[in-house]
Amino acid sequence: MEYSLLLNDVLFAFLIGGFSFGAGFSLFFVKQQASNTSQQYNNLNRIKNFGFGFAVLASISGCFLSFLILLTGVPYHFEIIQTLPFGVLAIHIDQLSAFFLLAISLLGTAVSIYSFGYTKEFIQRRNISLMIFLYNIFLLSMVLVIISGNGVLFLILWEMMSLTTYFLITYEHEDSASRKAGILYIVMTHIGTAFLVVMFVLLAGYAQSFDFGAFRSVRDQIPDSIKTIIFLFALIGFGIKSGVIPFHIWLPEAHPAAPSNISALMSGVMIKTGIYGIVRVSFDFLGPGPAWWGILILFIAVVSSVLGVLYALMEHDIKRLLAFHSIENIGIILMGVGAALLFSSFGYKAPAAVALLAGLYHVMNHAMFKGLLFLGAGSVVHATHTKNIDELGGLAKKLPWTMLFFLIGSAAISALPPLNGFISEWLTFQALLLGFNIPDLAVKLAIPITVALLALTGALAAACFVKAFGVTFLGLSRSSHTNDAHESSFSMLAAMGLLSLVCIVLGIFPGTVISFIAPVTSSLLGENISALSVFNGGSIAIQQGAGNGISPMVLIMLLGGMVLLPIVFGFAFAGKIRKRISMIWACGLENVNPRLQYTAAGFSKPIRMIFSNIYRSSHEIEVSEETSTFFKKTIRYELKTESIFQKYFYDPIRKITVSGAMIVRRIQTGRIQSYLTYIFITLILLLLFAR
Amino acid sequence: MLNPQWISLSIEILAATILVTAFIIVSSRSLLFYVRLFAMQSILLGAVALLVVIGYGETHILIAAALTIVVKGIVIPSALTKVIDKIKVRKEIDFTVNITTSLLICALIVILADSVARPILDQQQVSDLAVFRVLPVSIAIMMIGLFIMIARKQAVSQIIGLLTMENGVFLSGLSITYGMPLIVEIGIFFDIFVAVLILGVFVFRINQTFDTISTDILRKL
Amino acid sequence: MKEFIDTLFVFSIQLLVMLFLAPLVNGIIKKTKARLQNRRGASIIQPYFDLAKLLRKEVVIPVTSSWIFRVTPYIAFASTLAIVLLVPTIFAPVPFHWVGDIITVIYLFAIARFFVALAGIDAGSAFGGLGSSREMSIASIIEPAMMLAIFTVAVTAGSTDLSIIVNRLSTTPASMVHPSHVLAFIGLFIVTIAETGRIPVDNPATHLELTMIHEAMILEYSGRYLAFIEWASQIKLLIFLSLLANMFVPIGMAADVSSISLIIGIAAFTIKVFVLAIIVALIETLNAKLRLFRVPELLMVAFVLSLIALILYFIIGT
Repeated sequence: MEYSLLLNDVLFAFLIGGFSFGAGFSLFFVKQQASNTSQQYNNLNRIKNFGFGFAVLASISGCFLSFLILLTGVPYHFEIIQTLPFGVLAIHIDQLSAFFLLAISLLGTAVSIYSFGYTKEFIQRRNISLMIFLYNIFLLSMVLVIISGNGVLFLILWEMMSLTTYFLITYEHEDSASRKAGILYIVMTHIGTAFLVVMFVLLAGYAQSFDFGAFRSVRDQIPDSIKTIIFLFALIGFGIKSGVIPFHIWLPEAHPAAPSNISALMSGVMIKTGIYGIVRVSFDFLGPGPAWWGILILFIAVVSSVLGVLYALMEHDIKRLLAFHSIENIGIILMGVGAALLFSSFGYKAPAAVALLAGLYHVMNHAMFKGLLFLGAGSVVHATHTKNIDELGGLAKKLPWTMLFFLIGSAAISALPPLNGFISEWLTFQALLLGFNIPDLAVKLAIPITVALLALTGALAAACFVKAFGVTFLGLSRSSHTNDAHESSFSMLAAMGLLSLVCIVLGIFPGTVISFIAPVTSSLLGENISALSVFNGGSIAIQQGAGNGISPMVLIMLLGGMVLLPIVFGFAFAGKIRKRISMIWACGLENVNPRLQYTAAGFSKPIRMIFSNIYRSSHEIEVSEETSTFFKKTIRYELKTESIFQKYFYDPIRKITVSGAMIVRRIQTGRIQSYLTYIFITLILLLLFAR
Repeated sequence: MLNPQWISLSIEILAATILVTAFIIVSSRSLLFYVRLFAMQSILLGAVALLVVIGYGETHILIAAALTIVVKGIVIPSALTKVIDKIKVRKEIDFTVNITTSLLICALIVILADSVARPILDQQQVSDLAVFRVLPVSIAIMMIGLFIMIARKQAVSQIIGLLTMENGVFLSGLSITYGMPLIVEIGIFFDIFVAVLILGVFVFRINQTFDTISTDILRKL
Repeated sequence: MKEFIDTLFVFSIQLLVMLFLAPLVNGIIKKTKARLQNRRGASIIQPYFDLAKLLRKEVVIPVTSSWIFRVTPYIAFASTLAIVLLVPTIFAPVPFHWVGDIITVIYLFAIARFFVALAGIDAGSAFGGLGSSREMSIASIIEPAMMLAIFTVAVTAGSTDLSIIVNRLSTTPASMVHPSHVLAFIGLFIVTIAETGRIPVDNPATHLELTMIHEAMILEYSGRYLAFIEWASQIKLLIFLSLLANMFVPIGMAADVSSISLIIGIAAFTIKVFVLAIIVALIETLNAKLRLFRVPELLMVAFVLSLIALILYFIIGT
């Protein structure tokens, strides 16, 4: 297919060129600070439009490129340079890369459009050119990480991605929370990188090259023990990036600290590069391993999803809440991946394909709805200047469109049919059900527990989004923050609208979507998913003896028809509906105070009580200026929940590290002579060894 | 003779129901409810024994079955009910292990019981006979009985735990050897009966002396 | 064409029976409770009069609310009716069984719950938030038990498609009664009680602040909106009862549209549902409402029973 290859080249050039040019050109203006003159403001505004324009262009070509690769099944290969020690530094877009590229590009398009309007307020306050530069580099590095075909190149780009993210987290650097989050992030991500370096070096030791193709070809020569080490290191290294529990602590700090468009990208796609890495290493490089690999991933997945959503329920900061939900959704994705690994280790290829499909489908879904939700949160914060949902309320009337899009996002993440979140959870359930055929006790115990906890996660997520959406948008306003709230600009709404549309399409046409993902699973597992499932357009079916399928397209038609029924019936039975607007019932109180409403903390209290063993929460009630027992001036209520990982995992590690550092400090005298002595001794020792 | 497949199916279902009663005992707080559930459990157990009689023609269990229903299903429960009425303690209030955790532990017990019994079943190659297949259930019930004794503090609950254990022993006896020899059964029954009577009197006395039947207090003796 | 007419026929019978049987089931529960409590009680067709009255009455809309409040009754009603089309009641297989399976049914209930909970918050009163908060909390701890109980049956039948579950059990009666089904049935029964807000989890008759769950959430609803929400929750109860009845006792389902099998189908279905309704009424009479924080313990029983059911399926054998 000569023509498509040429088209690929052009699209690839646009993809890389767009981001690079967007980044490069903004560098020229990095010195320009915004002042009050409208001339300069307009200039910067134009620079901003250009910068994000390039990003949009590049992202769209990325979409097309990945579409082409997924449709034709021809990988795109591009060699940069032949270096002797590391093998060929090459770009290689196979099906798996193309799929993740599609997720990044789709979300990149929407977020870039959003940024036109969102970053407008930065022009006067901050260095907008720097933002454009970092933004483009960030997207570029993510894209390149996904498509690089060489270990060394991968690590370099991985590091580039981490550093850009650090600068973006600390973009609002006068806020000490941002700086702290940035430092936490950079420390965690470097620990991860260290594991990855070791992992790639181990692989390269057998392959004699850092080329991904070489890794694949030596799969059978690596002894099992080394394979296990590689797997575990990949799991830790990539796990830190994707924020699975217990490596999650950076995530809820870093995501809220960044500007909202960046949070959307970080949460939507950056953490997915970790998933990409896990899938790449465990399926592509290593192949099916022992069963406990799968069980381990399933365990991590279950813990991440349940604890992620439980911690999310306790949050009142809307962006932190969403960040915790990212941990939860990474868990759901890993359920699919872990189940796939588990099934394939027993040689059950077709169920493994369904499980992996479910995981990958959720990768795409989470990218879309979490991107949408972060953008929605961005709009809310933009309009009200507060992230605390307990200070919001009643925004439905002031931000009607944002509310609608946020509602679609909330429904999608709560897995309500026929939106996209439902499809991937359905697939995960089906995949787990298929696993019951495996005659192994551990598997048969692991599956019911995973099923139960996935169900729990889904329901808790719905509870959490009733809270997040309800407290933010519905009821009465709780503070003056909402007084001059205004609807977002057109580009921001357009971006959210685009993502909402994608969420709906992903939900209604699962068959079509699966036909794009199926090549990925079949390339990784060597098993075509159609052995077990039927999918076309609006319906899918998993066959397991007897077929069981869903057809969201028909379902939404049924739902639509059924909505008409009560309207028609009501009209026919008793005529036109009569409405009267009135005050709410407040036990006889005349004027309704918004403080009567449940707060976010109040809303989640039953869940806090039920899961008190996990939260170990403590609260403090402070009553001041008691004039009488019944009329109190102010009551301060403070609630703390304790992170078990903070206390039992990170604190000990930190203590050991600090005390270790104290010991090491003695060596560090600060005198140049002693350092030279160390070097001298090292040299002599080396010479002795190398003798 | 009835269709053996239906017999074995009914035995399995009864065994499952007995397990349910054990779980409900673990989940509840009311002492009277414990006693009623125990009565129900014993009657179900008697029904299992009757089915073994009908299905496999093991007539010697008939007496044991009748004894189970009469003694453990009616006599002991009514005696215990009287004790509860007299001592006026109706609720289990504080637990060594709370209810939610208890239930999870019992779930683990069932899984453990299965993994213990499975090798035996596989070895004997008898898993086509239903009675043998209730072995895991009987082990689970024994262990749940023991667990009730650990988790609860009231003396009446301790008795119920003991009796549940005994029911488990009876069920496993049924499952392995179609019931133990009659003389052993009767011996056990006598033991249990006397034990319950004595314990009942003890509970009454403990209550009179200490105003509580919580076994915590007994440590001070 | 014949096929199309048959489908349409089955479709409308299914819809009509569920729509108009639901208030009756509610009436039977109320009547049974009344008789058990030595009261005379209202007539069993009283719920129909209530609905008719509510449908005619004017709707009062809180000034604070947004459009969520106004669309919720329709969404709740529509999603419940969509479930009606997926659940085999009189006929098995139902014409739309390929549209959604049992997992879809659970998630369709979630739609209704999601929107009703939002509407509770939307009213802007203290009660709405209280109800929504409790409803969502309880719903989330119900979910694992429900999913496991249903998976037990799905594993036995080898499918999550409700019509296949029901048919498979009726073609091979040996797999119909399985010991693990006993556990799963009890698990699902507790789930039903919790999901449909009956005693001992929630009291559908109370309007006391401390104890309301579902009622608090819909406190601001009135007139036609309330009628649809009430009706939807009556249908929800009927759906759960028919799931219990038909998944575990799949007897007498009509396989075709001939008049004999139709009559048998309707008769079998009504008898099964009425028996279950009377059991629900018995449980309501014999138990007091649990404290809110005792509910997790009850649901833990359901969860553990369902978990054991699934594991027992492998233990006692297939």
